[in-house]
Amino acid sequence: MKYVAIINEQRYEIEIDNAGGVLVNGEPRDVDFLNLGGSLFSVITENRSFEAVIDDDEDKIAVMMTGRLFETQVLDERAMLMLQRRGALPVSSGEVHAPMPGLIVDVTTLPGAAVARGDTVIILESMKMQNELKSPADGVVSAVYVEAGQAVDKNDLLVEIKASDAEA
Amino acid sequence: MQTGPFNKILIANRGEIAVRIIRAARDLGIPTVAVYSDVDRTALHVRYADEAVHIGGPRPAESYLRMDKLVEVARRTGADAIHPGYGFLAENAEFAGQVMDEGLVWIGPSPSAIATMGDKQAARTAVKRNNVPLIPGTEPGIRDEELIHAASRIGFPVVIKAVAGGGGKGMRPVQRAEGFAESLATARREAESAFGNGDVYVEKLLIGARHIEFQILADAHGNTIHLGERECSIQRRHQKLVEEAPSVFVDADLRERMGNMSIAAAESVGYVNAGTIECMVDREKNYYFLEMNTRLQVEHPVTELVTGVDLAKEQIRIARGRRMGPTESLLEPKGWAIECRINAEDPYANFMPSTGQISTMILPTGPGVRVDSGVFSGSEITPYYDSLIAKLITWGETRSEAMLRMRRALSEYRIMGLKHNIPFHINLLNSISFIAGQFDTTFVERRFNMNTYEQDPSASELETVAIAATLYAHRKRQLASQVVAPAKRDASNWKWMGRFERMHR
Repeated sequence: MKYVAIINEQRYEIEIDNAGGVLVNGEPRDVDFLNLGGSLFSVITENRSFEAVIDDDEDKIAVMMTGRLFETQVLDERAMLMLQRRGALPVSSGEVHAPMPGLIVDVTTLPGAAVARGDTVIILESMKMQNELKSPADGVVSAVYVEAGQAVDKNDLLVEIKASDAEA
Repeated sequence: MQTGPFNKILIANRGEIAVRIIRAARDLGIPTVAVYSDVDRTALHVRYADEAVHIGGPRPAESYLRMDKLVEVARRTGADAIHPGYGFLAENAEFAGQVMDEGLVWIGPSPSAIATMGDKQAARTAVKRNNVPLIPGTEPGIRDEELIHAASRIGFPVVIKAVAGGGGKGMRPVQRAEGFAESLATARREAESAFGNGDVYVEKLLIGARHIEFQILADAHGNTIHLGERECSIQRRHQKLVEEAPSVFVDADLRERMGNMSIAAAESVGYVNAGTIECMVDREKNYYFLEMNTRLQVEHPVTELVTGVDLAKEQIRIARGRRMGPTESLLEPKGWAIECRINAEDPYANFMPSTGQISTMILPTGPGVRVDSGVFSGSEITPYYDSLIAKLITWGETRSEAMLRMRRALSEYRIMGLKHNIPFHINLLNSISFIAGQFDTTFVERRFNMNTYEQDPSASELETVAIAATLYAHRKRQLASQVVAPAKRDASNWKWMGRFERMHR
């Protein structure tokens, strides 16, 4: 199987053969990749030993290694083909959900307002902290489903944003 | 009773601090009673205590804040002393009074000391009598126009603080005179909604200031000492994240002067038991009294490691009316200690709290490492309480040794199932400013960023990440295709058919 892994805008062409051998950009690598239970893995590449916590979230694979979070994208041949046709990486959904149960302290945006990725749209109080929930994309707020003072449950949809680059 | 003999302690708290107090009591041979809410049935404090009593629903107001129930449980179980821990009712003078009225021993300072120090203005008035330096500011209860005048007299920048606020809540800095009126209105509104009291006052905002606090210990025999300072400038939104003892900024002379000032502040309210004098220290080493915390602090372990004093045990000893163990103030700390607060917060997403089950937790061990925690693999972090998972504390003969041990411990620590701030601490411990001791209370918010690191990952590390992610995706794909494919039979289809027919005759 051939894959392309993208990390920090760097591309790695990685091939895994039927015997489990690994080639990186055509060169063989001595790799031992072992699951230690749950999302914990031990990786030994060319005798260097690492522990990594790996989780996947939709189309991204999050690798926590050496105390850092690396967000990676791994594409197989089919996904690479799709990507070439569409010409861009998929855009993230424009929905802001409650990450935990809590109380809406403030809604800092309005339907129809233009927002940039990273703008605060909701302030949610939970675990004795006020948390700023941010817009996942540049775009226009298409709907606000909550108001200040309202209690919400985990995963409740709070705000919808129509991403500007999703219209094309 | 403020002090007197007792034989069983009820711990009116939960989490790591309840476990900490149980350990101190057990070391002294005193049995303990834990209390718990619906969601804490499996918590460690419930399992480690000698007795455990269910007191209500998950929300603090239904359980850990129910004064009536706590007193009733003490009566029912024969507990004759109550330790409040920190948070919840620890600084509630009314509760301390109720406990004493019941004839129980309150393991903490007197209700009047709690009340005085809990009211910022009363605290300022009290400590002023003992010549304790205060940050220039106004009294509360002043009208808006006068506050605007006062602010320009003090000189910008200033900070507007809610009279009923605390712990970093209800504070609003104002940089210039222009935005002051608007900020004042917002501050009053916020104070009204958060604390039900819109009264505010104005204080000078210190630039480049450090948050340094002194541990106080006082017994009922008239002895008051300090156990040196803790450096708590590494904070975010006024929530401390890393604490050290001693502070790189404090030399022997400053320690002695600030220590004496702290003792004077505690004596101004006749303080008995363990307490903390929080101070702000500016770049010129001018120091000002900020407030007194009339309880054991979250970060007390760093002091324990550099003094060898078990503060929770001393609290119990003092409450029993005995003389405290240490008799002299600490001028020479033994080595260096650092504490990292491990919180269920995602440093890559603006420190958003994370809830859920801890699927795996592997604790760091080895020389110089201590972990104070109330959770375990399989326990649930709920939205009802704070996000503290554990306190990781390391000790070394020097600051560098303590830091290197902390780096080692952080790299061994594994917590899975929810987001946590260990990557933040690892990044911080690699930051040159932090290593050099050059930071103030604004460091984390202004100069620290999780997207930048002192060192880029090496090419071989990045490649390893790429390989690991690809193998992960590959295995997941294979697993998915196996689920879809028909299960292989371990015998030939002819044999299988024969067995099937015999069974169904």
